[in-house]
Order: sequence, then C-alpha cells, then structure tokens
Amino acid sequence: MTKDILRPWVNGIQWLENAALVFALISMLGLAVLQIVLRNVFDGGFLWAESFLRILVLWVAILGGMVATRENNHINIDALSRFLPERFQRLLQIVTGLFSAAICGTVAWYSFEYVNLEYQDETIAFASVPTWMCQAILPFGFAVICIRFSVRAMQTIFDQSKLGNS
Amino acid sequence: MAVLVSLLIFFLAIAGAPLFVVILAAAMTGFFYADIPLMVITIEMYRLVDTPLLLALPLFTFAGYLLAESQLSTRLVNLTQVFLGWLPGGLSIVAFVTCAFFTAFTGASGVTIVAVGALLFPALVQAGYKEKFSLGLVTTSGSLGLLLAPSLPLILYGVIVQQMDLPNPFTIQELFIAGLLPALLMIVLLTAYSIWSNRSQPIEVGKYNKTQAKQALWAMRWEIPLPFIVLGGIYSGFFAVSEAAAVTAFYVLLIEVFILKEVPYKQLPRVVRESMIMVGGILMILGVSLAFTNYLIDAEIPQFLFAWIQQYVTSKITFLILLNIVLLVMGALLDIFSALVIMIPLIVPMAMQFGVDPVHLGIIFLANMQIGYFTPPIGMNLFIASYRFKRSITELYEATIPFMLVLLVALVIITYVPEVSLFFLDR
Repeated sequence: MTKDILRPWVNGIQWLENAALVFALISMLGLAVLQIVLRNVFDGGFLWAESFLRILVLWVAILGGMVATRENNHINIDALSRFLPERFQRLLQIVTGLFSAAICGTVAWYSFEYVNLEYQDETIAFASVPTWMCQAILPFGFAVICIRFSVRAMQTIFDQSKLGNS
Repeated sequence: MAVLVSLLIFFLAIAGAPLFVVILAAAMTGFFYADIPLMVITIEMYRLVDTPLLLALPLFTFAGYLLAESQLSTRLVNLTQVFLGWLPGGLSIVAFVTCAFFTAFTGASGVTIVAVGALLFPALVQAGYKEKFSLGLVTTSGSLGLLLAPSLPLILYGVIVQQMDLPNPFTIQELFIAGLLPALLMIVLLTAYSIWSNRSQPIEVGKYNKTQAKQALWAMRWEIPLPFIVLGGIYSGFFAVSEAAAVTAFYVLLIEVFILKEVPYKQLPRVVRESMIMVGGILMILGVSLAFTNYLIDAEIPQFLFAWIQQYVTSKITFLILLNIVLLVMGALLDIFSALVIMIPLIVPMAMQFGVDPVHLGIIFLANMQIGYFTPPIGMNLFIASYRFKRSITELYEATIPFMLVLLVALVIITYVPEVSLFFLDR
C-alpha cells in the first residue's frame, strides 16, 4: 500500500535522474564540439571548458551508475548463481544486496566528510565554481545507490516471506 | 582475519555482487589494515577528473549506440557485399569486415551479433555455407574488431596504463596503429579457413555489378565520411582522441536523427540512458579501481608478484605463455572491462620487467579477451548467439571451436612476433 503513495515520487525522481543524465551528456557533447570550432576557426576557446568537461564525465559516470543500480544493470561476475536453485539465488541476492548497500553507504559517509573539508577550504575547481560543488555528486550518488540496494534487498526479503506463507 | 575477509569478498564476488562494490570492499579492507583513512577512496575516485582522455568514452559509446539503432547494419552489409562479395570466400569476407567495422564503433557488447550477425546468418546459409559453419562464423565475428580504433576497450587499456606513470609511455594513437596488422592477420586467417572449410561446398559467389555498387555507395553516402573523420583525424594527429569522439558523436547524431531520421528524436533520451548506463558502469569500476590500484602499489603487491613469479619463470617466452593462459581464462570468466581493470595494474608492471612493450602488451591483452568472448562454457557471445539464433548452447560450442582454433593461431603469432603489432611504430 505504501508503494502506491510513494509511486508518483519515485517516478518523479527517476524522471529527474534521466533528465539530468541526458542534459549532462548533451552539454558535454555541445561544449566539446564548440571548443573544437573555437580552436580551429577562431584560434580561441573557453579556458574553463576543459575542466568543466572532465567534471561532466564524473557526473555522467555517477548518474549512469545510479541509473544502472535502479535497473539492476551493474557489471558483475556472477559465476555461481546460474548453477543454483532459485531459492539460493534469492538468498544470494539478499546477501549481496545488503553487502553492496553497506559498502556504498560507507563510501557515501566518507565522501561527505571529504566534500565537507573542501567546503571549508573554499578551493576553486574552475572559473568561480568551488570544488566541493563538483564533488558533491560523489556522496549524493553513493547515498542514492546505497538506498536502492537496501530497498531491493528488502523487497526480495519481503517477497521471500510472502512466498513462504503461501 | 585479513585472509577471512578476503575470502568473504571473493565469495560475494562470485555470488554476483556488482564488481565496483567488490573492488571497493577490497580497497577499503586494504586501506583499513594499512591504517589509512578511508577518505582516500573518495580522493582517488575524484581522480577520474584528472584524465582528459576519458571524455572519449561517453561520446564514442553514445555514437555507437546511435549507430546500432539506425539501419547502418543493413547498408553496411549491402556495401561490402557489392565490393567484396565476388572474391573467393566472398560472403565470409563480407561478414568479417562488416563485423570488425561495426564492433570497432559500437564496442563488443553483443550488438554486432544481434544487428549484423542476424542479417548475415541467413545470407550465408542461402549462399551455400553449412549452417553450423555460418553459426560459428557470426558468433566469432561478434568480437572481431576489438583491436581497431575507436574500440572502447583499447582506449580503456590506454587510460589505465597511462595513469600508472610507467617509464616508457605511449599514446592512444600508437595503440590504434598497433592494432591494425593484428586485426588484419585475424581476418586473413579466418578467411583462409573459411575457403578451406567450404572447399567441397557449392558456394554462390556474387558478381560485381556497377549499378548495385552505385546504389550501395549512395545509400551509405552519409556514413562513408565517418571512418575518415575518426581514423583520419586520429591517425593524422589532427584531432586528439577525445576531440575525434566529440566530432563523431555530433556527426552521428546529425545524420541519424536529423538527416536520415532513422532514430526518432523521441527515442534519444532512451538511447542516452542506455548508453550512459554502460558508461556509468564502466567508469564506476574504473574510478574505484583507481583507489584499489593505489592500494596495490602502496602495498608493493606488483613487486611481490614479480618476485614470486621469477622463482618459476625466468624467460620472456615462458612468461608470455603463462600470460596467454591466464588472460584466456579471465576473458572467458569476466566481461572485458572488468578483466582489463582488474588485470592491467597487476600484469603490466610485471610484463615490463620481462621486457614486454606496453603497446604490444595491450594488443596481446585484447586479442586474448576477444577469444574469451566465445570461449566455452560461459563466453558472453555464445549466450547472445544462442538466444538470438535459437540454438542450444552446446550447438554453439561445437560451431565456434574451429574458429577459436584459428584465432588461437593468430594469437600465438601476435604474442610471439611483436613486430606484427609494432611494425609501423618507432618503438
């Protein structure tokens, strides 16, 4: 039931996430092409473009990772589960899911501390954009990924118990 | 305790935990025992920003996904059929060349088998090739082209090795040039095998037809400049690799969405999402592996491994034999990006101690991985082909093994004759 109340929110967040990903890639493409035109035709270019492009790559990486977690589409080795019966597969899904959530949560925590340090140092990444703003995607992304892994593990546990009852 | 934790992480890895999580866990364990604050992980991951070359990755991937969505595969098969179809072994050459080209641009994500293989398989059977042979051919061709620019794994190899600060550095351009002859060697050997294997089959060979040639060329008019922009631009040094990627992505977007209109612009967000999921997956693994590599170097693991292996292996040749075996196994077990990210930091320093050139090593790496794609029992392309052509997986094992043997011959030549890779280079 709680699912139905949350649904529009979840949909909204997913839409935002997709939009951010598309926006980041298109601006990356646009800026990179513009830079080439400026360099070859006008012998110029924006000084900050190079740094900004590299930071966009990081953002695309983390946003892509967030969406990959959402769609359960991360690269894994998975040599074991295809040889196991379904019940064990689900158990392994729960274990690996909780493990992933714990690891990503830890990374999110330490990333937050790091970004906080940069915030206090007031370092500048490029133009007048502070470094902490560029790095903020790291704690944010890992926190989202942590939540997604936890929710999926919970769902699997929940489905499992329902399966056991019936 | 540390051993127990390592075993646990290993178990979770083969149980299917995402690879970036596994590498993170390993790095965190290492740093924890070395009393280094875990904040270092974030610092290392942020180093993704220090690698200008990485910009090429999302842009080339996006271009590749767009091309795979368009009708390029049909046009490409038509074009090569007109110009190469009349040669002895005609259609098989068409298959190899088309697949190599397609894979170089789209990455060996299995899309070649689905998009190009699906067109070629019925055509091969119709032309008189045996079914089993044709099946093996299209499955094998699914990873042909990994050694050609602008293949992502090749770029990734360059990126990882470059940030290791090795004593004899190289450029991505050199890597792209090094891949040319080995790829050609593979195509020549595969073609020779195809002709020999079908010597008693009545094979239809196409005739060169001027009108058809014109039609095929005209149909490809927008895509023909593409290799010249990318390859010409990169090989001549006019474009940096990331610039070539930007121009390619922009050009492909322009022609497929706005000129040919084969990818409706409403589909664009989906194509962006799908391609960036792959990029995100790869880059996250790369990011966390920067942290892990840093730990390995800190703990002097490569030196330790080198000292250990030197007790058993002293000659370069024995080392290369071992390397081939390890890489073939890894290529079959892991997907190519994870295999590269895990193996490069461990193997490259060792190989250099044995006097292997890093450019040559890159070609060896990818040639092994290419074969790993269809190595039984779990090479990824076997499953994709089995699903796409509705054949049992054992049937595919049988069909691909002869091709695998041919490519192993190519691999041996590539590994033990460095000149094949380094011929055009001043190394």
